[in-house]
Amino acid sequence: MRKRVIITGLGVVSSVGNCVPEFWNSLIDGKDGTKEITAFDASPYRTKKAAEVSGLNSQTHFSGRELRRLSRCDQFGLVAFREAWRSARLDKDLIEKERAGIILGAGSGGILSVEKYFRDFYRGRKKPSPSLLISYSLATTTDLIAVESGLKGPRSTTATVCSSSSASIGVAYEMIQMGLADVMVSGGSDSLCEVSYGGFSSLKLVDPESCKPFDKRRQGLIIGEGAGILILEDLDHALRRGAPVLGEFLGYGICADAYHLTAPEPNGEGVERVIRAALSHAGVSPEEVDTINAHGTATPFNDVAETRGIKRVFGERAKEIPISGIKSMVGHCLGSAGGIEAVATVLTIKNGVIPPTIHYEVPDPHCDLNYTPNHSIKRDVRVALSNSFAFGGNNVCLVFKKFSSE
Amino acid sequence: MRNQFFKKTPNSELRTPNSPRGPRIVITGLGIVSPIGVGREEFWKNCLMGTSGIKPVQRFDVSSYRSKLGGPLPEIDFKAFIKPANLRRMDRIGKIMVSTVKLALDDSGLDLGNEDPHRLGISIGTGLGSSDTVDQFFRALLKEGPVGAQPLLFQTAVPNAITSHCAIEYGIKGVNITFSHKETSTEMAMAYAYHLLKEGRADVILSGGGDELSEPLYHVYSMLGALSPGKGKGSEGMRPFDRDRNGIVLGEGSGIIVLETLEHAEKRGARIYAELGGVGLSGSTEGVLRYDRSGDSIARAMSLAAENPTIVDYISAAANSTPELDWAEASAIRKVFGERTKEISVSAFKSMLGEFDGSGGVRACGVALSLNQGIIPPTIGTVNIDPGCDLNVILGSPGKIGIRSALLNGCSNGGSNISLWFRQYHST
Repeated sequence: MRKRVIITGLGVVSSVGNCVPEFWNSLIDGKDGTKEITAFDASPYRTKKAAEVSGLNSQTHFSGRELRRLSRCDQFGLVAFREAWRSARLDKDLIEKERAGIILGAGSGGILSVEKYFRDFYRGRKKPSPSLLISYSLATTTDLIAVESGLKGPRSTTATVCSSSSASIGVAYEMIQMGLADVMVSGGSDSLCEVSYGGFSSLKLVDPESCKPFDKRRQGLIIGEGAGILILEDLDHALRRGAPVLGEFLGYGICADAYHLTAPEPNGEGVERVIRAALSHAGVSPEEVDTINAHGTATPFNDVAETRGIKRVFGERAKEIPISGIKSMVGHCLGSAGGIEAVATVLTIKNGVIPPTIHYEVPDPHCDLNYTPNHSIKRDVRVALSNSFAFGGNNVCLVFKKFSSE
Repeated sequence: MRNQFFKKTPNSELRTPNSPRGPRIVITGLGIVSPIGVGREEFWKNCLMGTSGIKPVQRFDVSSYRSKLGGPLPEIDFKAFIKPANLRRMDRIGKIMVSTVKLALDDSGLDLGNEDPHRLGISIGTGLGSSDTVDQFFRALLKEGPVGAQPLLFQTAVPNAITSHCAIEYGIKGVNITFSHKETSTEMAMAYAYHLLKEGRADVILSGGGDELSEPLYHVYSMLGALSPGKGKGSEGMRPFDRDRNGIVLGEGSGIIVLETLEHAEKRGARIYAELGGVGLSGSTEGVLRYDRSGDSIARAMSLAAENPTIVDYISAAANSTPELDWAEASAIRKVFGERTKEISVSAFKSMLGEFDGSGGVRACGVALSLNQGIIPPTIGTVNIDPGCDLNVILGSPGKIGIRSALLNGCSNGGSNISLWFRQYHST
């Protein structure tokens, strides 16, 4: 018998809100977080927009000394973690710290700081501060959160970029199944940086204006940033301490297209397999699925492959399942995309509202499902999926369910 | 039975051996690309001879650094491992990783034509696998602006590219994951693979990983003061547990173990090197660049991994020639094993390979070979054991003993500590 694992805390930093209530209100109102980039100089680029985090008043969260050492990614991660920890009503003095761990997903991590260092170094200007290099490892944000919170359980960082933080939720779940932890912090944090922006631009995968998933006019993604943190907890442990119960994590699928370094398998076969693996692991039949939080990057190929994969699993019923593409609002947050979308998925179940796919105007005959266009809908949701697909076809699908004590 | 260390920690009765259910997991293939040998035979011969892989770095210019040494790989003809058409899309670390996977698959005797590709997985760890590619990409971007951004470089710059190369090359369609957590990246990859096999989510998972010695990496380690001679006494070099140790020499390489359920291995008549019997994970919280200083967390990882600590005969140490870690690990070993400490042989592979984040894969191959053959490779470079590290460190020549079980330790600065417990394989 596997242990039951529930979600007891959520935290988020995003371009549409720097705490869960603000984030959720923006999602259901269909607010777009896309704006002109300020994190670095984007003037040489053809595209100049990103779903950048704004209004996160760093000075209120961190001391001057901390700010000198924390990367943008670390700051997002710490702020979201603190919210999640508080909302789970966890007290580090009351739990067994050895049985609380942290697995986060990473994308570009604190590379914005590393870029700052190497920009000065390679241009031979002033001597850059080596403390910028603390962020060289993708593990830094994970370790910082552990150091701040004193968590002494299992710790690691997943690095499949666009599916990293979804994978981290799966790995964190396994730490509880292995008997190594009662409480696991999971999700991820990522920030804008020039390497990822320049990279996606060079692949011609960035839309100059807005992210329009599943719309015929889509031209690619809008890069986003932020953090999405979920507290996973062993059900018995949570009940013993009277924790808030936000939803249940039933299981996940994780597998590969083994097809191409950047392009998805075009027929949706890889997508089908990861959804089927997730449903089978979760013990859920396709008929039970009420909504899907899509990967929905708005790249021409992804959205078709994802649509085909969903149809291969759900057949005729695919058209009835409301699908949300929240990257239309928060952008593609790379290493934190899966975490932020998982937070949205849990909130969908908890609040009974399915967030929309915004900027949806022109249907694409190859994407012919119900993408919850432009307006959120009220719906009692029992089972929800969240998809994340990465370069190289590293796919993850998560299964969440409304908690019932049966 | 649990050990003394656990009795002192709260709620020890609540602890259960990790992943107690499920099938036995065995190691049926080894792939090694290391500074002291490519392929199992050359690697093992050099291990037993105590060959050092440490030498002056020549692939890039180190003249501006205080340190000059590294643990570089020999020149490798990748065409011997990978089809030329596929070589073009891979960077150097990608080529290293795919070659390692090929060596492991060949060694295992797995016939991929007979395997269900969806039941075959890959779980890889790398600290900064693509650092060189990221650097090249960024430098071009700096120099020429957006037009300098090369899409072919970017697609190999992501940390999971090395895993994807392997999956694409061999049609591995099952579990696919990449971990990046400093010096415990590969240990995590193996621990996760072990658990998923126990849960029946795959038949075979190729597991391990590696890292590359690159110029930007050398620069970063140097600037953060991690390289020997960083501070303290003694000349530049790897000398784990030595009283004059003074930091790491940066190495490179990769190692893959083929992990398989016993049933699947038996059905195909596979050679079994050893059994993976348990994993332990824990964290310490001293700081993002600090190892576990008390040794408590390392001790906890070992205790969680070794279901039966009374039959641990060998520990492949994480010791990396830093004053901090070597002492803490020695202290952790004493905490777990008490009076038995002197009976346990300890060796530090990093003395031959240098330190690199993804060293756990190569070191796991070493442990599997030790269990299989009853020989423990020596720790080299170490002359005067630090009184604070008074373990039974195998120095000079290999130790020959019957090894019932062994621990492989991984400890990262920042405080992730992972132990894997390997057992000699017996059919009953």
